[in-house]
Amino acid sequence: MLKYILRRILLMIPTLIGTTFLLFAIVRFSPGLSSSNQFKGGMMKGGAGQRAQVLAEQEQMGLRDKNGHKISIPVQYVNWIDQICQGNLGVSKEYSIPVLQLIKERLPVTLTMNVIELLLVYLIAIPAGMLSAVKRGKMFDFSYSFISLALYSLPVIWVGAMALGFLANPQYLPWFPAAGTHSTNTSNMTFFQYCGDYLYHIVLPIICMTYGGFAYLSKQVRAGMLDALQQDYVRTARAKGVGGVAVTIRHVFRNTLLPLITMSAGLLPGLLGGSVIIEKIFSIKGMGALMYRATFSYDLPVLQASALIGGVLTLFSYLVVDISYAIADPRVSYE
Amino acid sequence: MNDRPWRDDQSQTAGENAASERRQGPENPADDPRASAMFEAPMPQAHPTPPLAATVAQPPGAQSEPLALKGETYWQSVRRRLFKPLLVRFSAAYIIILALLAVFVPFIANGDPYTIVIKAHGKTPAHREYPLFRTLTSIDLIVLAVFACLCCYLVLAWRAGGIADPIARRKSRLRALLIFGGIALIGSLAIYFFHQNVLDVRNYWRMVKAGRATAAIFPPVHWGYAEMEPLSRNLVYKMPYSRHILGTDGDGRDVLSRLLWATRIVMAIGFISQVIALVLGVIVGALMGYFVGIVDLIGMRLVEIFEAIPTFFLILIFVAAYGRSIFMIMIILGLTGWSGIARFIRAEFFRIRKLDYVTAAIASGLSLPRVLFRHMLPNGVTPVIVSMTFGIAGAVLSESGLSFLGVGVRPPTPSWGSMLNDAGNPGSTFHWYLALAPGILIFLTVLAYNLIGESLRDAIDPQLNV
Repeated sequence: MLKYILRRILLMIPTLIGTTFLLFAIVRFSPGLSSSNQFKGGMMKGGAGQRAQVLAEQEQMGLRDKNGHKISIPVQYVNWIDQICQGNLGVSKEYSIPVLQLIKERLPVTLTMNVIELLLVYLIAIPAGMLSAVKRGKMFDFSYSFISLALYSLPVIWVGAMALGFLANPQYLPWFPAAGTHSTNTSNMTFFQYCGDYLYHIVLPIICMTYGGFAYLSKQVRAGMLDALQQDYVRTARAKGVGGVAVTIRHVFRNTLLPLITMSAGLLPGLLGGSVIIEKIFSIKGMGALMYRATFSYDLPVLQASALIGGVLTLFSYLVVDISYAIADPRVSYE
Repeated sequence: MNDRPWRDDQSQTAGENAASERRQGPENPADDPRASAMFEAPMPQAHPTPPLAATVAQPPGAQSEPLALKGETYWQSVRRRLFKPLLVRFSAAYIIILALLAVFVPFIANGDPYTIVIKAHGKTPAHREYPLFRTLTSIDLIVLAVFACLCCYLVLAWRAGGIADPIARRKSRLRALLIFGGIALIGSLAIYFFHQNVLDVRNYWRMVKAGRATAAIFPPVHWGYAEMEPLSRNLVYKMPYSRHILGTDGDGRDVLSRLLWATRIVMAIGFISQVIALVLGVIVGALMGYFVGIVDLIGMRLVEIFEAIPTFFLILIFVAAYGRSIFMIMIILGLTGWSGIARFIRAEFFRIRKLDYVTAAIASGLSLPRVLFRHMLPNGVTPVIVSMTFGIAGAVLSESGLSFLGVGVRPPTPSWGSMLNDAGNPGSTFHWYLALAPGILIFLTVLAYNLIGESLRDAIDPQLNV
């Protein structure tokens, strides 16, 4: 057990290094940032003042040291990692404030919405998957699997645009707010009013994030349940005289629950990526919107740091899930 | 590690001796050319679920009809069961229609007529012109050339089906593939380097209306995808009406024409990205599953890296750092899509690497790529085909999302995603007729691919308990 956990943690180190190196390399080798380009490309014709400015810029980006000498790429990478370990993710070009501060503001918004979404998806997918396993081959099973596949195929951009256009637009039905997660006058609200206001604002975004998510999950629930239904212990329980629902919940479902929890970590990258679109459509100021803006203002430090945080978050959630899985199920090992 | 790590198996000593003898000299009596020919022949009988193994304990609740009819090969039975549901047949037909549209769209939606007679004006006498054919771009020509070669290959491959000897049949198909693949490649390069695109700004429709030209034959939709109505006529954001059957967008461009032209992006993004993913995934997965040990350890770290970073974030960084290009998005979707395929192949190769026929292939001294891709891969590739079908659906969704955000195709190239974006922003007027059609088409396309994928999965693995 301890060996498994230790090995799992040690194996994460090369993955982390690889992830950081990939992100470093993408930005470092981009045409706008290679130092040789900037010196040859006519920027140096502007006299000493401009030269000093360029040097200072490049020093800030970690391309040169204090004396104006070029730093080799491996050393640049090590320096970059060193800065990250000290909590310095660079300075945003657009906002001119540390990237870490920006992400600290934005990350909670996105994560809260993703957690709410994940809970909703599980709440819908598990009972639906159980029901279609129990009613296997019947009308409910067929129609549910088709409907969930159809919902999964519905493009978020379309549902979002339609919902925004018809339900949050004074032109048609102004039922929901069109932008943001809060009203403007939050300061004089009580806590419950504040929560209610928040929920009212995120109804449409959450629907858009949720509807496509449960197809995959409920399919897994169904497959796991079907597998467990054929086990000997289920027959034993039935033979003992345990009732239908009790068998389904206590014997079958409990044995399928574990893999489902593992799956939540695998959903995280998709959720983070999907929030870019949702936050753009509903003008929510989260990580996705931050990255969207940064793409158009060529704010590479912000993009790099956001992707890094997304990747590291995912890796750590894989780690936590794997370890808790190993603790819960003693059969798991690397052998 | 062993110096020949693919033979780290203790149980293979006999085969290893034979193999090393074979390598030592051609005068060795073990060097029988027929032996290697036997192993190089395709081995269709070694599928993961042999069709005639249906006699082995059919699981309770499996469908009552036989898994394979008499005299049916594995792939014939897969095809039969794949197209059994009506919805899957509709989906396949829909995809084929989209593909044909993508190839022939210049002849369907174009502002230039096939042929037109321009009346005499000034010193120019009356003459006949063929504007549509003159203005075909290199991309149009390349698509048409590749499509023609594909058709020729399919006809030859179909005719080769009549050859009884499986090895001769395979050879004949391979020859057809090489010939027409070569023609397609050389032709595309030639078109790319030597064809000059013609820019024609004349509005032939108006010339006919003004009486300056006659005898024009126009395509069914007589609007180009970038052709704008003149600003003076104020035909922007028009609801559907007779002149523009699906309305016009904010620049006064015909929505129907743009919808049709966008099929190109949709077809290209799915196939190209998944082919890249397939090549990468198969190579990495095969090496991981075959060598196990350190190669597997390193390969899995690579897989983890690409699974951890959200694809969307990665694409946004690439766009900001290297500029926007649809080809780059295809490549990145391929680069991030291979991890699932690699996992599948790895698991399959783990399973089959110790089977007797693999040992035999190694023992007969075949090269490593031959063992991996000729002998092992055909038995491990089936789940990958399913994963590719879902991958195409995912790529179509991703592309529409990216184009919606404005980081996908460059304007004025149409894409269903970017057309949705034209429908309206928060706070502005919402033009529902601009959002309706592209959204439905994205939905239908993704649904069609997903339905085919589901049916394919059930058809490939008949023992699967669903």
